[in-house]
Amino acid sequence: MKAIVASTLLLCTFVLATGDLQCSHTEPLYLTNPRWDDMVDPCVNVMRKQIKTELNAAMQYLAMGAHFSKDVVNRPGFAKMFFESASEERQHAIKLISYLLMRGELVSDVSSLIDTRALFEKINWTKWESGLSALKNALTLEALVTKDIKNVIEVCEGHTNKKRQNQEEVNDYHLVDYLTGEFLEEQYKGQRDLAGKVSTLSKFMTDHGDLGEFLFDKKLLKGDL
Amino acid sequence: MKAFVVFAVLFVAVYAADDTCYKKFDGICSGTTAKSPLPVDLSTCTASYGHIDVVLRHLIGFANSHIVRSMEYLLMSTYYGNYQKNRAGFEKLFRDLSDAKWDHAIELIKHVTTRGGSMKFTPPDFLNTEEPNVYEGYEIQSIAKALDKEKQLALEAFKVHNEASRRTDGKHDPEISSYIEEEFVHHQAKNIRKLAGYVTDLKSMLSGPDGSLSLFLFDEYLKGQ
Ligand SMILES: [Fe+2]
Repeated sequence: MKAIVASTLLLCTFVLATGDLQCSHTEPLYLTNPRWDDMVDPCVNVMRKQIKTELNAAMQYLAMGAHFSKDVVNRPGFAKMFFESASEERQHAIKLISYLLMRGELVSDVSSLIDTRALFEKINWTKWESGLSALKNALTLEALVTKDIKNVIEVCEGHTNKKRQNQEEVNDYHLVDYLTGEFLEEQYKGQRDLAGKVSTLSKFMTDHGDLGEFLFDKKLLKGDL
Repeated sequence: MKAFVVFAVLFVAVYAADDTCYKKFDGICSGTTAKSPLPVDLSTCTASYGHIDVVLRHLIGFANSHIVRSMEYLLMSTYYGNYQKNRAGFEKLFRDLSDAKWDHAIELIKHVTTRGGSMKFTPPDFLNTEEPNVYEGYEIQSIAKALDKEKQLALEAFKVHNEASRRTDGKHDPEISSYIEEEFVHHQAKNIRKLAGYVTDLKSMLSGPDGSLSLFLFDEYLKGQ
């Protein structure tokens, strides 16, 4: 580690060709007792994993948006909805990052927080036979994310840690409250909305097939649904 | 009349290879009340025209590069947001860059489909050649890194533009070149100039005696940008 710091400092001075460019201003680390940055590793790690999950969902929604934008599919309403969902998922990841920063985390090992290559590899679906199948797919995706968030809550409540690692039970009250109150709330509302859309479109499709999907798409585009 | 229909159908069958979209439906829709089977091959009825195929490959790659850069800037932003770095200005600078790349990625995906293409999510080649990114750097290094990334994106825009401007080869696509000009190149030039200016400022200020204070003030300046 020292070697890396030394070499980067060297690089800094070498590249800019000034004798004494001072890039680093190291500050002595002040540790309180008890620690103010009091999150425990299992909880931090499962949060880091959740950030990846949210970004994977963002990429999956991008693929959905791309599919429904195609000339041979031509469902701009669905595309708009899925592109918006993609950006929302990215915002969820950013919210989790902000939370960890607020709690004094992410001071090191930031680079491994996102694996850019894996983001591309983890897109599971790129084709849908209909708008309805994509909506159902989205609902499943959200249900999976909800399950993951519930797992984060369980780990951060400390019960799982105690069982698995013989650790002292550490309940991260504030994070658990944030996740249940704010995150899960949004998940459940989002899921209800998607489930409603699946239901409405299913009823259209029974009798009216492509016409139903066409009308539904235009409603999505106008924001009527 | 019957003979004409037979002839027309025959005509369509024979000339299907270099047909217009209209012809695909002409033989089928006219002259009979009975339902004819839909033409199987509708390749002339897509949105693609001219020599868009090669250009599209580059445009798709350009979109994927934006996704990767967006994630990388998000990591840089995250690092500066932690309590030890505590540089809200740098955090904002990289976050703004991340947001802009993300939005551009979505716009590019839409444009790929506008031109009859199909988005393919594959990791960009530069991920194989670039040294693994470490985002925990010093301020001036991070700005330098951002400058490099912006230049790479600008050159990629030039490449797309170049593919769309090969007039002598008959591969001329003014729609793409104008899109790249309006949406990317001017904006990129300004960004690059801005970052290069930051390097100049930081280089001179960090060479002086007040490095630490300079960084604090520079960070405050960035916060207001
Ligand atoms: Fe989410």
